[in-house]
Parts: sequence; structure tokens; C-alpha cells
Amino acid sequence: MPEWQRSTLELIVEELQRPIRIDESFDRRVMVHVRRTYARRRRRGVAGLMASASRITHHPVWAAAVAAGIVAVATLGIVRGRQHAPVAEVGHEPVQFVLVAPTAKSVAVVGDFNDWGLNDSALVATNHEGVWSVTAPVPTGVHRYAYVVNGKDWVADPSAPRSAADDFGMPSSVLVVEGSTK
Amino acid sequence: MESSDADLVTRVLHGDVNAYGALVTRYRDRYARYAVHMLGNREDAEEALQDAFTRAYRSLARCEEPERFGAWLFRILVNRCRTSGARRVRRGQTFVHDEGALMNASQEHPAEQTMWREEIERALGELSADQREAFLLKYVEDLGYDEMSEITGVGVSALKMRVMRACDRLRTLLREVHSA
Repeated sequence: MPEWQRSTLELIVEELQRPIRIDESFDRRVMVHVRRTYARRRRRGVAGLMASASRITHHPVWAAAVAAGIVAVATLGIVRGRQHAPVAEVGHEPVQFVLVAPTAKSVAVVGDFNDWGLNDSALVATNHEGVWSVTAPVPTGVHRYAYVVNGKDWVADPSAPRSAADDFGMPSSVLVVEGSTK
Repeated sequence: MESSDADLVTRVLHGDVNAYGALVTRYRDRYARYAVHMLGNREDAEEALQDAFTRAYRSLARCEEPERFGAWLFRILVNRCRTSGARRVRRGQTFVHDEGALMNASQEHPAEQTMWREEIERALGELSADQREAFLLKYVEDLGYDEMSEITGVGVSALKMRVMRACDRLRTLLREVHSA
């Protein structure tokens, strides 16, 4: 290759490799779209479940639940089955707890509604390809709860508001259970 | 300490939407360069880049190697630039030289340097989209042919041919400018 050709190419590349800066407002525009997508998913009850949301709807059990009219509590990202969930006592509403934990061996739900599982009343979740879920009747009102992963790791629900006062010094989340409007 | 891509991706997948903002900031400028050179104007480039980021967010669960989020995002961006370029061709538009795309050069370099850069951008616009893509990936983004093949889905031999033709064309187009 003649010397002048090589140097021309080098000059071209050197020029094209100079950084091009995008205004920081670009980040805000992107995040507006991202937050809209996130909000839509929360309304569908799949916030924080991007990895498995599509798989849920393809699983026969989940597909039946979706077809049955699952309703999401938009402010919490908790899915509530109003019609086909386990029958709840009066003053209780069925609440579905969902956590993505692909590597977990077990997931349980503890909260003030089951005395934090202190008497072996922890709600044991079922694994759906890394998406752990359990549905249980919970009294109407405001509750604090958390997930216990592998029987020892206490984690707050990443898609729900954190509780200001964590029980036992452990992280926990806030759940608001409203009475049925039926 | 700065969070790794894998950490940020995991946080996003668990509902921490703000963690995605850190990924946007991390890759915004790095990939803007490719989009601007590929599409020839800042407006289309930002649109393609924004589209790539939002698509990546929606499909984040399909990012099989979170530690390589950047490479995965770049593949999406390359595809978005292809789509954007094809759409522009259908609209009958040609490669547009945009002063905005050269803003940084204008601010940081003397006038002759800006003129040289403008000529390079014009010459890039003379290349076919395939040749421009191959040239930018090889020489500007500094990718190997195997990586380029993985990103574009085009065979290595074909890519080498495109790069060679792009180089020849650029040399021809810029010979007079450079020797002037």
C-alpha cells in the first residue's frame, strides 16, 4: 500500500474516532420511555418481572389465571386474583406474591399477616421457571411483608414500596389490601 | 465504585428502573458516534439511539450475558441504524450532511480541521450503506471480523470485501482534499 494511502486512511479514522457528545437531555428522553414501559408493566402486575413476564402467560396455569381476569394493584405491583384465586374469608382478599429469583432453592412470604412466619405459617411459594409465586388471603388493611429466600436471606419486594420501619432490623415492603368492590 | 453492567442489569430486572439510567449514561456518547456517522445526521442518530435503548429495556430479559450488555445493545443499535437508513431510502432522502453532527469538531478544531471532517462525512455518505457499516465497524469501532459477522449476520469474506471497497472509495473521494 503506498504511504500516502495508508496515511489518508489513518487520518480518516483518527477524525471519525473523535468522540461525539449527546446532550444529557437525551438520558431524560430515554428514561421517560423506559418509565412509561415500567408503569405499564406495573399496571399489568409484572413490575420487576421482565425476565419472566412473557413466560408466565405461556405457562398453562398462568395462562388460565390471566384468562380468568387477574387484576393488578397498580401502586404496588402485586397481582390480585379477584375471581379465581383461593376463596378468602370475609375481610380478606386474595393476594398473589411474586418474586423473580432464578437461582433460589426456596422462597417464602412472611409478614405481619402471618406473624412473620414465626409459627411455621410462612407462605411457601411455587417455582415457575425462576418466578416464585404464592396466592393467599390477606386481611384488608396495610401490612408489612418480605420474602425469605433459601430459608435465610430476607429481601424486600423490589417492586413495592419499602417499609420505613423494618421489623427485626430486616428489610420489608408495604402492602395495601383494599376491600373488594363487588 | 462504579457498578458493573451485570449489576445494573440485575437491578433493572428486579424493578430498579433508575439503574437503567446509569446504563444509558454509560453508553450514550460511546454509541452516538457510530449512529451519527452511519446515518449522517444527529437527529436520525439520536432517534435510532433512543429506539435502541428503549428496545433494549423492553427486551432486557433476553440479554443472556448481562456482563456484555454493551455489546448486546450495540447489536440492537446497528440494526436500528439499518432500519432507519432503509426508511430514509424509501422516503427518497439521501445521506444528509448535518452541521449539528459536527458540532464538537467545530468547537474543538481549527477551521481546516472542520473542513476535513466535513469532507470525510460527505465521502462516507457516498458509500453504500453496507460499505459504510463495514468500514465504521472495522476501523472506527475497531471490531474484529468475527465480531462484525456476529453483529451483522454477514459472512467474514463479504465483510472484508466491503471494507476493502469502502477504503478504496474513500481514498479516491478524499485524495484531492488530503493532498490539497
